[in-house]
Amino acid sequence: MTRIALKVNGQAVDRDVAPRRNLVDFLRDELNLTGTNVGCEHGVCGACTLEIDGAPARSCIAFAVACDGASVRTIEGFDDDPVMIELRAAFNREHALQCGYCTPGMLVTARDIVTRLPDADEARIREELSGNLCRCTGYVGIVRAIVSVMAARKSSSGGR
Amino acid sequence: MTAPVEAGAKGVGASLPRKEDDRLMRGRGEYVANRRVVGLQEVAFVRSPMAHARVLAVRKPEGAEQQVFVLADLDGVKPIRAVCGLPGFRVSELQVLAGDIVRYVGEPIAMCVAATRAEAEDLAELVEVDLEPLPVVADMLAALTPDSPKVHAHWDRNAFLESMVDDDLSTVKRDAAIVVRRTVRTARQCMAPIEGRAVVAEYDRRLDQLVVHSATQMPHINRTGIAECLGIDQASVRVVAPDVGGGFGYKGILLAEEICLGWYARRTGRPVRWLEDRYEHLSGNANCREHHYDITGYADASGRLLGIDCEAVVDAGAYSLYPFSACLESAQVSSILPGPYVMDRYRCHTYAAATNKPPILPYRGVARTGVCFAMELVLDAIAREAGREPWEVRMANVVPSDAMPYTNITNKYFDSGDYPECLRRTVAALDVPAWRARQTRGEPDGRRVGIGLAIFCEQAAHGTSVYHGWGIPMVPGHEQCFARLSPDGALELRIGTHSHGQGMETTLAQVANEVLGIDPARVRLIHGDTALTPYSTGTWGSRSMVMSGGAVAAACTVIAERVKAIAAHLLEAAPADLELADGDVRVTGTDHSMTLQEVAHAWYRQPQRMPPDIDPAGLETTAGYKAVRDTGTFSYACHACAVAVDTELGTVEILDYVIVEDGGTLVNPMIVDGQVYGGLAQGIGSALFEEMPFNADAQPLASTLADYMLPGATEMPTVRMEHMTIPSPITRFGQKGIGEGGAVAPPAAIANAVNDALHDLGVEITECPITPRRLLAALAEAKAGR
Repeated sequence: MTRIALKVNGQAVDRDVAPRRNLVDFLRDELNLTGTNVGCEHGVCGACTLEIDGAPARSCIAFAVACDGASVRTIEGFDDDPVMIELRAAFNREHALQCGYCTPGMLVTARDIVTRLPDADEARIREELSGNLCRCTGYVGIVRAIVSVMAARKSSSGGR
Repeated sequence: MTAPVEAGAKGVGASLPRKEDDRLMRGRGEYVANRRVVGLQEVAFVRSPMAHARVLAVRKPEGAEQQVFVLADLDGVKPIRAVCGLPGFRVSELQVLAGDIVRYVGEPIAMCVAATRAEAEDLAELVEVDLEPLPVVADMLAALTPDSPKVHAHWDRNAFLESMVDDDLSTVKRDAAIVVRRTVRTARQCMAPIEGRAVVAEYDRRLDQLVVHSATQMPHINRTGIAECLGIDQASVRVVAPDVGGGFGYKGILLAEEICLGWYARRTGRPVRWLEDRYEHLSGNANCREHHYDITGYADASGRLLGIDCEAVVDAGAYSLYPFSACLESAQVSSILPGPYVMDRYRCHTYAAATNKPPILPYRGVARTGVCFAMELVLDAIAREAGREPWEVRMANVVPSDAMPYTNITNKYFDSGDYPECLRRTVAALDVPAWRARQTRGEPDGRRVGIGLAIFCEQAAHGTSVYHGWGIPMVPGHEQCFARLSPDGALELRIGTHSHGQGMETTLAQVANEVLGIDPARVRLIHGDTALTPYSTGTWGSRSMVMSGGAVAAACTVIAERVKAIAAHLLEAAPADLELADGDVRVTGTDHSMTLQEVAHAWYRQPQRMPPDIDPAGLETTAGYKAVRDTGTFSYACHACAVAVDTELGTVEILDYVIVEDGGTLVNPMIVDGQVYGGLAQGIGSALFEEMPFNADAQPLASTLADYMLPGATEMPTVRMEHMTIPSPITRFGQKGIGEGGAVAPPAAIANAVNDALHDLGVEITECPITPRRLLAALAEAKAGR
C-alpha cells in the first residue's frame, strides 16, 4: 500500500492505495464516485475521461498512486460548472446521448474542446472527439451540441 | 398522412427533449456496476484458451477451494438449452462452466471469487487447466463438408439447422437474358456496446429470493431462464435491469455467468458481481453477422427480376443460446432475402453452421444486414448487365405503390408503404446527374468517385404467428402496461420492455399525454424490474414503441374512462360530454372543468364523494395490447451515398449520405432520427471497419479496440435524412418499428458505391468490411487478370 494525498472535486483525499489500483477503480470503489464509467480499460474508448490538473485524462490507464498531489475532477465535480451547464442543455436539445454510458467522458472532452479551441470548425471538433467512442448516436447530436455551444459563447462574448 | 404537430404539443409526434438525459449527464446513471452492496465480492472467470479441447483436469489453487468453483461444484444446475422447433434442428447444451469439452475460445471453465476483481484475476491465474486439443472447426464452409471434424461429436453434420424455401426455377433459367451469380461474404463482428455485460447477484433472506441485477434487454426472460437452470421457482428469482449502457442485441441473452453467480449467491448468501471487461468481450464474444451467400439473380434484358436462387450459410458458432437459439438468423435469411422486390420464382437453401466460435446472437438488424448486402449487390450487377442506372432497375422491381398492402413471395405481409416514392426521393436528394457529371470530370486528387444505393424493408414488432413457427423458447404474445393515477394526479406507468437508450421514459410519457392529456413531466415510467412490471419478452426486434406504446395507450384509455366516470359525477355532466386535455377534465365546449389531480384526490381521499355505482377498480389498471395483426410492421428505407476511393491507399471516404425512410407515425421524430443515425454508424462500421478475424485454430485476432475498429466521430459523414411517415394500418398510432433499420443498408450502399467507382478497373467487391487490405487485394487481382 502507498499513501497518497490528492484533491478530488476540490476535496482533500488522503488514502492508502495498492500500487496497481487504477484511478477509476479508486474513484468508483473507494470514493463512491460512480459517475465515471469504465468502457475498455485500455485507454481507447474514452468513457472514463476526467480531468487531472485541468487536462482531460483516461482514468482507466492512470494509476491512483501516480495522482499523488494532483487535482482530479470527475463528472460529479462539474455539476455547477457554467460551461457544463451550457453543454448539458445542448446535449439534451440535440439528442446527443442515448444510453448515456459514454456521456460523462464525452462531456468532459466536449468541455475541453469548447474552452481550449473556441474557434474550432466541425472537422476539428470531430478530430478532437476521436478519443471518445459512442455506440448509440453516430455522433450527430454530439457534434451539433458542441457546435451550438461554441456559437452561443461566441455571440455572447460580442463576437470577440 | 400524419397531421403537423402544434407548437408546444407534447403528445405523439412531438420532438420532446428526453426526460432521462439529466441524470445520465450528471454521472448519476444507475448502471449495474454502480450498485453498492455491503460485502460485495467480485468474480473473474477462467476461460478456455483453446477453441476445441477436452478438459482433462481443472486444479484449484491450494487453500482456495471455497473461492474457486467448477461444474462439479454447481449442484443442481442445468445446462443452457435453446431448442428450436423447426424440423431437423440439432440440439446443443452449454454447461454454465465447462464439462468434458470446451468448444470456443472464451468459454467459461471456472469461477473465481475474491474481494476485488484484481484478486479474483490473481486467483484465476493460479487455476491449472489441462486441455487436450481437438481438431478445430474454424470456417463455416469447411464445417459443412462431410469430412470436417465435428463441433458436437454426436452430430452427423456441423449444422444446427438446414432450411429450404424451394421452387421450380426452370422457367426463369430458360427465360433469363441476364444471369448474375455472386459469392458474398460478411465478417464476424462484435456488437461492442460501451458498457459490457454486468451481473450482481444477491440473496434476499426475507423473501427467499435471488435478486440479480443484470445489464439485460429482457429481464423477465432472464428471470425465467435463471429459474429453469437453477431448478427453482420463478417466484424465487427477481431480475433488475437498471440503466443499461447500450444493447443492440448483445444483452438479449441468458448468460452462463448469471447462472454461476446466482448459484453462488443462493448457496453462500453472499453478494457477488461480475463485470465483463473489454478483453472478455472482444476475445470471447464476437458473435454476429458472419454470413456467406452463393446467390444467383435471373432477370430479363431490361433488368426486371425473374427469380433468385441462393445458398446461404450463417456461422452460428458453437452453441444454441437462450432465448433466440442458433436457428433464428439462418431461418430469417430464407424468409427475408427477397426484400422489397417482386419476383416470379424464389429458392433459398440455408444452413446454420456450427463452428468452434462464439455462439451467435442476433445483432441490430439481425439477418437483414447480410441479406440486404447480398441482394443489393446482385441488383447492381444486374443493372450493369442491363446498362441501366441501378435506381432504375430497382424502380422496375420494387413492390408498386398501388399493390400495398402486399403479400410477397415468402408470404410476408407488407402492411403499408410506397417504395417507388422512397427511391425517387432518395435519388433526387443525392442528385445523381450531378455525381455522374463529376465522375466524368474526374477528381483533381486522382481518387475515383462512385455512387451507390440500397433499399430494404424491415419486419418489426412481429409476434406470435411469426415466432411460434420457429418454436424457440420465447414466443411474444400480448404486451401489458400497468397504469396508476396517483393521489396527486401524477401517472405511474409500468412496462415489461426495457429502455437502454431508446428514450422510452420520454416517448411513453408522450403516448400517455396523447390519451390522457397529462403533462409528460408528471408521468413516471417504471421498467426493468421483474418485481414491479408485467411479464414481457423484453426489448428486441424494434418492438417496444409498437407493443409497449400500444399497451400504454390501452391502459391510459381505461384510466381515461374511469376518470371521466368520476368527473361526470362531480361536474354533474354526462361522461360522453367530457374531454381530457392539458391535465384537465373539461365539459366539451365550456370552461367547466376540474383537474386530473382533483379527480384523483376525490377518488383516493374523499370516497364519500363517489357515486354509488362507481367502478371499484379505481384509477389503476393493467391493460394488454396486440397489434391488429401480429405479422409485424414493415418500415423501409433507401440509403444512397457518394464515395471517393483512393486506389493507392485502398481507403474509402464517404462524401455524401442520404437516407429516406418510413417509420410510419413518428412518436418522437428527434428520437427516431437518433436511432437511425446510431444504426448508420454501426452500419458504416460493418461496411468499412469492423471485423473479428479468426485464425485456423479459431483464435480471435483482435483483442483490443485498437485492433477491432469502431467508427469514431471522424468516420461519420454528415447525413441528410427525410421521413415519409405513412402510418401503419395495424398499430395504435400508425407507428412502425424503426430501431434497427439504420444498421441494415450501409454495407450494401457503400459497397455499391465503391463498385461504381471501380467497375471500369474490373473490380467488384463482394465482401465486407471493405478494408484497405481487401480493396488493394481486389485491385491487384483485377490488374493481374487483365
